[in-house]
Amino acid sequence: METLTAQIVTGLSISSILLLVALGLAIIYGTTGVINMAHGEFVMLGAYSAWFLQTFFGIGLIESLVVIFAMVAALGWVIERVVIRYLYRRPLDTILATWGIGVMAQQAIRLSVGGELRYVEMPPVMDGSIVLLGIEMSAFRLFVLVLAIALFAFTWYLMYRTTIGMKLRAITQNREIASCFGINSGRIYSFTFAYGAGLAGLAGALVSPLKSVSPEMGTTYVVDAFMIVVLGGVESLIGTMASSAILGQLYGFVAFFSNDTFAKALVLLAIVVVIRFRPQGLFAAKVRA
Amino acid sequence: MSGDTSSHLVLTDVVVTFNGFQAVNGLHMTVGKGELRCLIGPNGAGKTTALDTICGQTKPASGKIMFKGKSLNKLEEHQISRAGIGRKFQVPSVFRELTVRENLQVAYCKHTGVLANAFRFGRGQEADGLEKLAELVGLQGQLNTSAGHLSHGQTQWLEIALLLAQDPELILMDEPTAGMTVQETRKTADLFNRLKGRHTLIVVEHDMSFVKEIGEVISVMHQGRMLAEGTAQQIERNQEVREAYLGSGGITGA
Amino acid sequence: MSRRTAVQIAVYGIVCLAILLVPTFYDDAFVLNKYSRYLVLGILAIALSLSWGYTGILNLGQATSFGLGSYCMAMGLKLRTVPVHTGSAGLPDFMVWNNVDKLPWFWEPFNSMTFAIFAGIAVPVIFAVLLGWFIFRGRVTGVYVAIITLAVLVVVNLLIIDQQRFTGGFNGITDLAQLEIFGLTFDAYGSSSYYLIAVSLTFSLFFALAITKSKAGLILQAIRDQENRVRYFGYDVATFKMFSFAVSAGIAGLAGMLYTIVMEFASPTFLGVPLSLAIVIWCAVGGRQSLLGAMLGAIVVTGMQGALSESETFLDTWTLIMGFLFVVVVLFLPKGLAGAAEMLLDRIWPSAGNGNGRANKSTSRNTLPRKTEPAE
Repeated sequence: METLTAQIVTGLSISSILLLVALGLAIIYGTTGVINMAHGEFVMLGAYSAWFLQTFFGIGLIESLVVIFAMVAALGWVIERVVIRYLYRRPLDTILATWGIGVMAQQAIRLSVGGELRYVEMPPVMDGSIVLLGIEMSAFRLFVLVLAIALFAFTWYLMYRTTIGMKLRAITQNREIASCFGINSGRIYSFTFAYGAGLAGLAGALVSPLKSVSPEMGTTYVVDAFMIVVLGGVESLIGTMASSAILGQLYGFVAFFSNDTFAKALVLLAIVVVIRFRPQGLFAAKVRA
Repeated sequence: MSGDTSSHLVLTDVVVTFNGFQAVNGLHMTVGKGELRCLIGPNGAGKTTALDTICGQTKPASGKIMFKGKSLNKLEEHQISRAGIGRKFQVPSVFRELTVRENLQVAYCKHTGVLANAFRFGRGQEADGLEKLAELVGLQGQLNTSAGHLSHGQTQWLEIALLLAQDPELILMDEPTAGMTVQETRKTADLFNRLKGRHTLIVVEHDMSFVKEIGEVISVMHQGRMLAEGTAQQIERNQEVREAYLGSGGITGA
Repeated sequence: MSRRTAVQIAVYGIVCLAILLVPTFYDDAFVLNKYSRYLVLGILAIALSLSWGYTGILNLGQATSFGLGSYCMAMGLKLRTVPVHTGSAGLPDFMVWNNVDKLPWFWEPFNSMTFAIFAGIAVPVIFAVLLGWFIFRGRVTGVYVAIITLAVLVVVNLLIIDQQRFTGGFNGITDLAQLEIFGLTFDAYGSSSYYLIAVSLTFSLFFALAITKSKAGLILQAIRDQENRVRYFGYDVATFKMFSFAVSAGIAGLAGMLYTIVMEFASPTFLGVPLSLAIVIWCAVGGRQSLLGAMLGAIVVTGMQGALSESETFLDTWTLIMGFLFVVVVLFLPKGLAGAAEMLLDRIWPSAGNGNGRANKSTSRNTLPRKTEPAE
């Protein structure tokens, strides 16, 4: 019993990180249809920003979160303005272009700060662990979990309870018509891309004390995040949350019973099957095409 | 006039639903061999959906679709096409990245297998026929032009030419004259009058003068059902049809 | 045959001839080995051009077929080595280290080199047919095809790494024998291997060209353009796509086998995501809708990479430039450099687009540069 609950907690921790990474991707893909292969690099840049601020300015992780969000979001905004906005009619090409951007980001980091592993210190306040409902959990992991849920709630609120969210959903449904009603779709898209990038940056900052920071750390995240978005259904935020939870637990459990590689392979195969038989995702309602 | 009038295509009690919305609701229709049937009706009557079910794009929730005595219900689009049914779409649908000639070559589909086509290079015999077709629709000067560079009217003509190259027994036309000039519409009417007898045609059309020029029997759909069938005169006098069109400017303005 | 096609065949022929003549100018073993490697990757790009450029299937997992072909060859060559490290059972060394005491059943047939070579093409083709059946029968299109192929690549890669006892795991299959067929020995650093590869490249290029020039090739392009419309002409789209996918896999498998010969090992990196995405870059930069363009794209890009690889900073800078170039090409040159070259040619020589010699002057102006012109 105890191992089971411990297992669930491990799964939850994995889930919260996955959710953080996938949330930004889900918003970008869900509204603009852009498959952002550079999303992993936004995560990576977030992690490097945390390392940079800590190493050179001595700013702790928690204090730097807002700055990191703003920096990566600004970068996302620039990329949208310079490259992505020319590709909205060519979804396949967005894969290629954003991947090229990802390569550039990785190389830029390699050339500027080097390819060696970097480490970010955990905030001293959260170094210990907390016993909750009889289970011992790292305080920082708990913090990440809470923050992930809070960010999810905030994003949901933004999408479904604010004017900007309403405009965004209108554009998603029909860009031309929305433009006819005076919605500046270009600006909304830029905003979405920047926000999604900012979230990825936050995710990167938050995982940086848990894992080592390297130029290629983003690649694994983008695959997982993408799978979550597909699994959850493109236009469903709740679906993103649910599939993060499922995938996190799945990784935790399968890895517990067999090895890590096998877990990954199995999850990927499951996702391939889902795409084949339910391309609209597990949690999305079927809409008339 | 159309010779053999044995039923070529029979739709029995066809129902099509989208998420609970019944686009076609118990449609019955019988079309004889060699007949040119016009299908009219107010917007949302289910005309295009009816064509969709015949060519396999949409599967009916219930009901039967029989062509030459065989059921089409379980066939995929390409199998229905091989059975002898061709379709022109409402929005002209051609291969925009291919040239006019290449478009016609693809449409000339006597052999549909992969391997039958993998070793096919010499297209000598076909070429003459395809050039004649291009001439028929006035595209002989554009044979090497990408279809994407054609005007809207020319694209309509190209798609009609594609159907002629395909040479199916039953041709489904969804608003063939949309976007055409008066002269072009007349030319289309001439063409259709020549086609009937050799092909069976079902033409969905809004332009009543065009319908009168080509159609013998006109079917009127309304709210997913067959409302009336008859000659142009009978239809125009029909009280139910008038009511169905009420508010949309009358039957001629629809 | 149109003039356009004749010119195209001539150009393809000249390029292949030039490639075949390289050893008469350079007989440095090291240089030839390096060039051989680039040529193999050129073959791989031809394979992707066929499925992506001509059929619209963005296969992000092209390296799967490449890797499978490479492992088949490596398995055949491994079993030909004198079992220095092994006991009497003739087991590959890494199996002995992993306490395997009997040759696994799926290794058994590779004792025959003929089988290994046959499998190097057949295994990728069969795999592609099954995967293609799964994807295309379900009418999965566009972006989702890209994701599925990528995911399958990762799965195969993970399994090969994981099953170390049978595949050599991370290290791959190393210490191979040299390929001997018909009394010829193919030394990775000899001109024999170079010729083998150059001939294979010529064959692959013209084989793929023949397919694109056939009516099936035309139908594939129609599918790329508007696959739904093709169905209403009676063509079974899924079968055509499976055909293109499988032929592409076969060519990639051949390339994989040749790669094992020049590299003298097979490694999980041959089915890695980086390589698989690199193939996409080569094709995009060279021109995915041109077999020759894609091939030259691969040769030039990897050649540059090889030239700069002596210094890590150079290589990193180069990769950065590559990424930039790639983005620019995607944005402004969707048909790659080959497309740009053709557009230029059409400007200089406008009648090139018309094989029948009675072109309408007003139309040849709006004729887009085209890869294929039908025969008369």
